[in-house]
Amino acid sequence: MPTVKLFANLRKVAGTKEVSVTGASVGAVVSELVKQYPALVANLLEHSPDALSGNGQICPHVIITINGHPTDDVNAPVTESDVVSIFPPMAGG
Amino acid sequence: MNGWNGKILEIDLTKQTHKESPLDIEMAKQFIGGRGLGARLLWDLVGPDVDPLSPENVLIFTNGPLTATGYQTSNRFSVTTKSPLTGTVLDANSGGYWGMQFKKTGYDVLIVRGKAEKPVWIEIKNSEVTFHDASELWGMRVFALTEKLGQNNNKRNVLCIGPAGENLSRIAAIMNDRERAAARGGPGAVMGSKNLKAIVVEGSTRPEIMDKERYKFLMYETKKLLAASPLTSQALPEFGTVVLMNIMNNIGALATRNHQQTQFEGAEAISGEELTEKYLVKNQSCWACPIGCTRISKTEKVEGEGPEFESTWAFGAQCGIDDLPAIIEVNALCNDLGLDTISAGSTIACAMELSEKGYLDSDLRFGRADQLAPTVEAMAYRRDIGTELADGSLRLATKYGHPELSMTAKGMEMPAYDPRGLQGQGLLYATSNRGGCHMRGNMIGLEVLGLPKLIDRFQVQGKSAFVILNQNSNAAIDSLVICKFTNMGVADEYFARVLGAVTGIPYATGELIKVGERVWNLERLYNNREGFTSKNDSLPPRLLTEAPTDGPSKGWVSQLEPMLKEYYRTRGWDENGVPTPKKLAELGLENLL
Amino acid sequence: MIDPRIYEMFREIGEDLFTAQLISSHGGNLSIRLGDRVIIKRRGAQLGRLKPHDLIETRLDKNDSNVVLASTELLVHRAIYLNTPALAVCHCHPRTAVAFSFSRDELVPIDNEASYLLKKIPVVTEEFASGTPQMANKVAEALKNYKIIMLRGHGSFATGQTLDEAFHWSTCLEESCQMELAAKIINEPFIEYRGMSGSYSQF
Repeated sequence: MPTVKLFANLRKVAGTKEVSVTGASVGAVVSELVKQYPALVANLLEHSPDALSGNGQICPHVIITINGHPTDDVNAPVTESDVVSIFPPMAGG
Repeated sequence: MNGWNGKILEIDLTKQTHKESPLDIEMAKQFIGGRGLGARLLWDLVGPDVDPLSPENVLIFTNGPLTATGYQTSNRFSVTTKSPLTGTVLDANSGGYWGMQFKKTGYDVLIVRGKAEKPVWIEIKNSEVTFHDASELWGMRVFALTEKLGQNNNKRNVLCIGPAGENLSRIAAIMNDRERAAARGGPGAVMGSKNLKAIVVEGSTRPEIMDKERYKFLMYETKKLLAASPLTSQALPEFGTVVLMNIMNNIGALATRNHQQTQFEGAEAISGEELTEKYLVKNQSCWACPIGCTRISKTEKVEGEGPEFESTWAFGAQCGIDDLPAIIEVNALCNDLGLDTISAGSTIACAMELSEKGYLDSDLRFGRADQLAPTVEAMAYRRDIGTELADGSLRLATKYGHPELSMTAKGMEMPAYDPRGLQGQGLLYATSNRGGCHMRGNMIGLEVLGLPKLIDRFQVQGKSAFVILNQNSNAAIDSLVICKFTNMGVADEYFARVLGAVTGIPYATGELIKVGERVWNLERLYNNREGFTSKNDSLPPRLLTEAPTDGPSKGWVSQLEPMLKEYYRTRGWDENGVPTPKKLAELGLENLL
Repeated sequence: MIDPRIYEMFREIGEDLFTAQLISSHGGNLSIRLGDRVIIKRRGAQLGRLKPHDLIETRLDKNDSNVVLASTELLVHRAIYLNTPALAVCHCHPRTAVAFSFSRDELVPIDNEASYLLKKIPVVTEEFASGTPQMANKVAEALKNYKIIMLRGHGSFATGQTLDEAFHWSTCLEESCQMELAAKIINEPFIEYRGMSGSYSQF
């Protein structure tokens, strides 16, 4: 199963830093993640009622990388050995 | 006059005199204030024959038409001078309270020339200027001095140098309000070379606002936007800037051990998450700022502001150190001594690599947290090994025959983002007018954070236009002067309208960005006059030839050359990076040459 | 050679514009600024069905051999890039917004999102047809101060750093106009829910 790493306040909300979830795309992984950790819905998905059916949109500014490569494509494929990292909106410098 | 006070204060330290002159309003319209106005004044005052540390160099403190109006983050000021570190035009800008208080004295600009015979400090209470003997204060550190001179956030504000500035370290900062810094490029050394220890301001003039109704509406809209943006309402207040540590490491763009690697195995230990969990006491904000990104952190030994992301990186990943308390402590020490944290950390990292490779005879080694504080202390006082490090990494590495190990652009230490994993950021560093810097423009929003939209960080084609827009927009914001973080929630069009409401002079959004472009081109002309050419628009060879062997940036080096060619064309410059007469005429700069 | 990532961006947004009914089969236009160049739709190509060869790259400041292939609206896109900080332009024909443009000199949204994002959309009139210098200058001038404007009886021009941004302003405008139209049909007195809303028309 792909590994999901969580960062910043997502860790507090989910109560974990790292978790394995099923899913063959970014969207599927996120849907599965919020099923396991419903508290994350508010942080990750817009239109939360749809979230559990997999139709929720990922909030703007949430940053997702696959093996360290940022993507904004929910259909981007994810394999068993991939690491999907999810960051809440962030800024700085 | 609205927005601007309309007055310049000139102080001659050699003669211990001062005089007032009117602000040229046409010049103010063209360059606004802050960085832009500073660069325009420096153009006339300091030519290529002037050594940055000689009495002929000047310090130009500027605020802007928005400063002290109460508009969100209108607390900042800029200090412009010829940089003793890079030899380029330099402006360093800082928040806190001093900028606001300086504006309230009734002046837009303070020009300091000459050199005092003995150490002095200056007190400006509205239009009353007093020179005080600072012989007793010389040698004092920043925190104690700030308190002694009566720092009182909203009433009386202290700007000063610490021992690093006195000892003419070319990476010395000017500090204000205890822990805010106009740090980069060594303005503290210029102040030290003038025997000027501190400038204390107290004022009671509030700037006039032309269209109060419109101004009130724009403030209200700005407030709503800042509250609605997850960046300014959550990300920055909750975790501060250090939150970037993990993501930069995750994508393989966190420069590590003097840019030998692009990922640091100890990143988690020095992350924003770790800082918040174990060391954060509270948040703090500058005057009129609803964001509050400043951290107050505490270890067993110190409690104070910071550390910011760049400082944490410089003493952390760049030195191979994962000891967060040691980083918090050395950050506080830099503030107290008045040193630029980015340059100090990266210079130590350079010395570590030189030593490990046997080029420099010292026991400095990557990973040695215990060496940070003693080395920084030695740098500020030019003692022992510090003597070698006090003037930055390029002078150090050149002396020992390996300038290629200095991670600098135009002689200024680059910040954390490694250009091999962020192509646009590399172009930014190489073209930045004050040297390797992330405040002249920042591509992290587009290349990593998806602000406003993610563009591929390895893409090269078309990057120049993004970089240029970013540079122009930042130059405009630095001239207003407000904080760049507001721009994460509030678009440039609001700033243009606020400027119009305050001054009564309408600025279209496009015109405000044009001011930024004018400032950028003027700075370029200044550097060209100093002898800089397209050869100086470069990066350390390591970033151009040594690709990371693992991590997400594996196999990538900076593709600077094609980006630079496109950049010059897009800027309207010739192939040597010189602004064309057509471009200068378009910007109203043709009469300068 | 146009980067495939750039083509993909055009293709997605072109398709979305058609699906969202913001353009007719051959209407509308998209372009981006790439340094000193412009990438724009080929003359006659359909935005909703873009192929890689439908994108033309040409110089921003003067003509080259590609210019004959480019959309007739190149002129206005160039004028926008030369006169504003825009890096992307989205031109479409949002029908409700066009309908309002017949009778108004400015559109001041009454819904939350467009009030928030757009504040006010000026309407400019130009009797010369699309693609003339007169029209190009007028549109570019208005876009110096607004990120989206309406050309009376024709359509909208929106600018952004990316196509995505310009597309966002365009859909936001049409949605807002549809809401206002619905509110007009409902025809009941408004209860104001926004602070200082009277100031939007001065934005």
